[in-house]
Amino acid sequence: MSGAASSAPASGLRIPAPGVVIPLAAIAASFVVGFALMALTGSNIGAAIGAFAQGAFGSAYAIGTSLNRAVALGLVGLGFILAERANLINVGGEGQIAMGGIFSTAVALYGGVKGLPYGLAVLLPLLAGTLAGAAWGALAGVMKIRFGTNEVISTLLLNFIAILLVYWSVQSVHLLRQPASFAGTLPQSLQVPPSTTLPLLTGNPADPLHIGAAVAVVLAIVTALVLRRSAFGLRLKAIGLSPTASHRAGIRTDALMVSVLALSGAFGGLAGAMMLLGDQGYLTAGFSSGYGFDGLVVGLLARGSAAGVAAVAIFFGFLRSGGISMQISAHVPAALVTIVQGMIVVAIAGSAILIERMGRRA
Amino acid sequence: MTGQTATAVDPLQTTGRASRVRAPDVREPVLDLAGITKSFGALTALSEAALEVHAGEVLCLLGENGAGKSTLCNLIYGVFRPTGGEMRLGGAAYAPADPKAALEAGVGMVHQHFSVVPSMTVVDNLLLGRSRGILHRRLFAEEIRARAAEFGLEVDPWRVVKDMSVGERQRLEIVKCLMRRPRLLLLDEPTAVLPPEEIGSFLDVCRRIADGGGALILVTHKLAEVAKIADRTAILRAGRIVDTVPMASADMKAIVQAMIGRELGGATVAVGLDLAEHAEAAETDELPASAEASGKIPAATKSRPPDVLQIDALTYRDRNGAVRLDEITVEVRPGKILGIAGVEGNGQSELGLILAGLERPSAGRWFVGDREMTRASPAEITAAGVGIVPEDRHAVGAVVEMSVAENLCLQNLAQYTRFGLVRRGAMTAAAKDLIARYDVRGAGPETRFASLSGGNQQKVVLARELTLDPLVLLVAAQPTRGLDVGAVETVYGHIRSACGRGAGVLLISSELDELIAVSDRIAVIYRGRIVGEMPATQKNREAIGALMSGHAA
Repeated sequence: MSGAASSAPASGLRIPAPGVVIPLAAIAASFVVGFALMALTGSNIGAAIGAFAQGAFGSAYAIGTSLNRAVALGLVGLGFILAERANLINVGGEGQIAMGGIFSTAVALYGGVKGLPYGLAVLLPLLAGTLAGAAWGALAGVMKIRFGTNEVISTLLLNFIAILLVYWSVQSVHLLRQPASFAGTLPQSLQVPPSTTLPLLTGNPADPLHIGAAVAVVLAIVTALVLRRSAFGLRLKAIGLSPTASHRAGIRTDALMVSVLALSGAFGGLAGAMMLLGDQGYLTAGFSSGYGFDGLVVGLLARGSAAGVAAVAIFFGFLRSGGISMQISAHVPAALVTIVQGMIVVAIAGSAILIERMGRRA
Repeated sequence: MTGQTATAVDPLQTTGRASRVRAPDVREPVLDLAGITKSFGALTALSEAALEVHAGEVLCLLGENGAGKSTLCNLIYGVFRPTGGEMRLGGAAYAPADPKAALEAGVGMVHQHFSVVPSMTVVDNLLLGRSRGILHRRLFAEEIRARAAEFGLEVDPWRVVKDMSVGERQRLEIVKCLMRRPRLLLLDEPTAVLPPEEIGSFLDVCRRIADGGGALILVTHKLAEVAKIADRTAILRAGRIVDTVPMASADMKAIVQAMIGRELGGATVAVGLDLAEHAEAAETDELPASAEASGKIPAATKSRPPDVLQIDALTYRDRNGAVRLDEITVEVRPGKILGIAGVEGNGQSELGLILAGLERPSAGRWFVGDREMTRASPAEITAAGVGIVPEDRHAVGAVVEMSVAENLCLQNLAQYTRFGLVRRGAMTAAAKDLIARYDVRGAGPETRFASLSGGNQQKVVLARELTLDPLVLLVAAQPTRGLDVGAVETVYGHIRSACGRGAGVLLISSELDELIAVSDRIAVIYRGRIVGEMPATQKNREAIGALMSGHAA
C-alpha cells in the first residue's frame, strides 16, 4: 500500500468523526429522553423498547415493511431536493401522494388494465399516479410564474385539496367507492386486482419488500447524477441562485421552474402510487397518513444530497415502523411517539449546525 | 518620499481649507497601525501595513480593485481580526472583536451598500439598535436634526427612506454614524453611488467633519476626488501600502503609477484621472480626424451598411404608469461607439433592461440589423449577436455564487453538454482560455465569481459577452462603475477592439469624460428623452453637460 493510499483513509476517518458521532449521540439522547417521558407517563419501558425493536427490525417482515416505508419517504425526499436546488420549497408531498394514490387506484381498477401483458398492468397505474403528482406540482409552478404565488403556500394548500379529493373519491360511488354490497360498506375503493400490485423483490410473501425499493435506489442514483453532473442540474442551481442573471443568460426560467416542480411532484405521485399498489391495496381516506410531511423532513435533513435522502429515509422508515409497533403492542400513546420523532429531527438538524460551527472554528 | 517623513509641526491646529497644507501634527494620532498583516488561508490580503490618521485629517485610501483597501477598513472596523501587527486608537491598544466593539470605541463606517430599512422613517432607522423600552421619537428627531445641522447636513427625520434619493440616503448613513460622535469615520467608496452633482456637496460634508476634529479614512477610485479632498493619500498595491503622500506636494501622475505599478497609455489616463484637460490632448475638434487618430474606426467603408442597432420611438412606462423612456430614437453604426450620456436615473437603466430583453417596451420598436427584437427573449437577443454588459453586475451580469467557469459557459451550456451531462473538462479548458485572454486576475475556473474584485468580475462578464460569434452589437451599461484606473483602461481596450472587429457599441455611462474619450458620437438622455446628439469631442463637452442637466443647448 502506498503512502498516499494509506493516509487517505486515515484522514477520511479523522474528518467525519464528529460528523458521525455527534448525530448518533444526539439521536441516542433523544431516545433516552423519549423513553424517560414514556416511563413518566406510566408506560412499561422494557415493553416499549421491545415493541419498537420488534416492529422496526424484529423479523424479515418487519424489515421489509420498514424499507417499504423508507421507499415512500425517500421518493418524496428526492423530489424535495430537486426543487430545492432551484430554491423552490415543495411542501406538497402529502397532496402529491394523495393524487398519486387516487389516479393509480383509478387506472388499476379500470376495466381491462388488469389483463394487460408485459407488466403494463402495473406500469400503467404507476405512470398514472406519477403524472397526477406531476400535475399537482406543476399547478403550483404555474401559479408561481403567472401570479407570483409563493410555492410554499400553494403546495401546502394544494395538500388539503388533494386530501379532500381522496375523501370525495372514496365517498362517492360514482367515483371510486366500492359498490355497496354484503362484503363491504366502508367508504373505500375496491381492492386493486393482484396483477396490478407491485411485485415483491424476493417473491416470498413473508418478505413484503417490493420492487419499489429497487426503483427508488435507481432514482436516487439518477437524481444524484442530475444534480451533480447534468446541464439541467446546473441550470436549476443557476435559477435558484439568481433568476434574473439566469434569465439574462438565456435560461428559460419560467419553464424550468414549472418543470422542476412537476418533477418534484412526480416523485410524490410515484410514492403515492407505490404506497397504494405495493402496500395498501385499496384507496381510503387519509391513506397518505403524513408520509408527505415526513418525506419533506427527510428532504430537509438530507441537505441537498441524494445519499442523504437515502440514509434519512431508511432511518425514518424504521422509526415509523417501530413507533407504530410501540403504539399497538406496548400501548404507548401516539403523541409520545410523535414527540420522540420530533426530538430526533431537532437532534439531527441541531448536530448539523453544531458540526458546521466546529468546522468553521477549525 | 513617504508621508511619515513629512513631520513639520503646525502648532496652530488651524481648521478650514487652510488645513489642507498642514502636515500631520505631533500629537498622538487617532489611529495608528503598525505592521498590520491579514491572511485568508494562503492568500495574504494585506501585509505589514503601517498607517497613521490624525484628528482633523482626511486620509484617502487609493488602490486598484483587490489591493486590500476593503480589507484594511474591515480590520479597523472589527469585521476581521488582523493576523499580525498592532492597532492603537487614541493611544490605547485597539483590537475590536466585532463592529459593535469598534462602534463603542468611536469608529464608524459607511459602507458602499446602504444599511437602512427603506420602508421606515429616518427616525425609526436611527432608533434601531439603540432603543430601550419606550421610544422617544420626537426627542430623538430633534437630536438628529441638531446633529446633522452641526455638519451642515439637512435631514428630515420624518421622511420615509425609500422616498429619498441616493444622495440623501447616503447622507443619512453618515448622520447615522455621526450620532455616535465617532473619533474616526471610515467611508468605503462613498461616491461610487452618487450622481455627479451630489459629489461636491458630499466632499464638503467630509471636510466639515474633519474640521470638527474628526478623522476620516476615505476609500475611493476617483483621483479627481482625491485631489479635491485629501490631506494625505495612502496608496495600496497588492496588499502593501506602497506610499503615503501629503497632497500639498502630490503629483497625480506619480500617484497613478504608484497605484498600478506601471504607466498607462495616452487618453485613458485622462479617463481614469477624471481630469478633462488631459483628455483634450488626445482629441481634435472634428470627429473623423479624432476617430482615425485614436484608431476607433476601421478603414472607412464607402457603401453604407445597415445600422447594427436601430431604436425607433421606444417608449417605456413603469409599473406605476410613469413614463421612463419617451420615444427614444437612436441608431448605432457598425464599428462605431455611440455614447448615451446622462445623469443617472434619467432612463438609462430602463433602456439597458429593454435591450437585454429583461423588460418589454410599452411602444416603439428596436432592430438589430434587419431583425426586429422588440419582443425578443434574452436568449434570442444573445443569438442575434448582441453582447450585454449589464449595469448591475451582481444581479444580472452573473450568478455570483457560481464559479467563474460556470458563469462563462452558462449562456451556451449546450455547447458543453453531451447526453445531458456537463463536460466539465471542456468547460474548464474554455474558461482557462478566456481567463488568460481577458487577463482575469486571481481566478481559476473554479473560483467563486463573488470572490473576485470588481474589475475582474467585469472582465469575466466582458469575456463572455465579447466572445459571442458573431458579435454584432455590444450594449455596455455603466461598464466601469466601481473600477479602478487600470481596470477602466482594460475594459475600454476590449470594447474598442470589439469595435475594430466591426461591432457597433452602445455605451451607457454617467462618466462624461470617459464617454467623450471613448465614443464617436454622444446622445444625451434627460428625463427619458434624447435631448441632443453630437460628435464626442472635447469642444462639445460643455454643451453636453448643459443638456445633461436639462438646459436646452
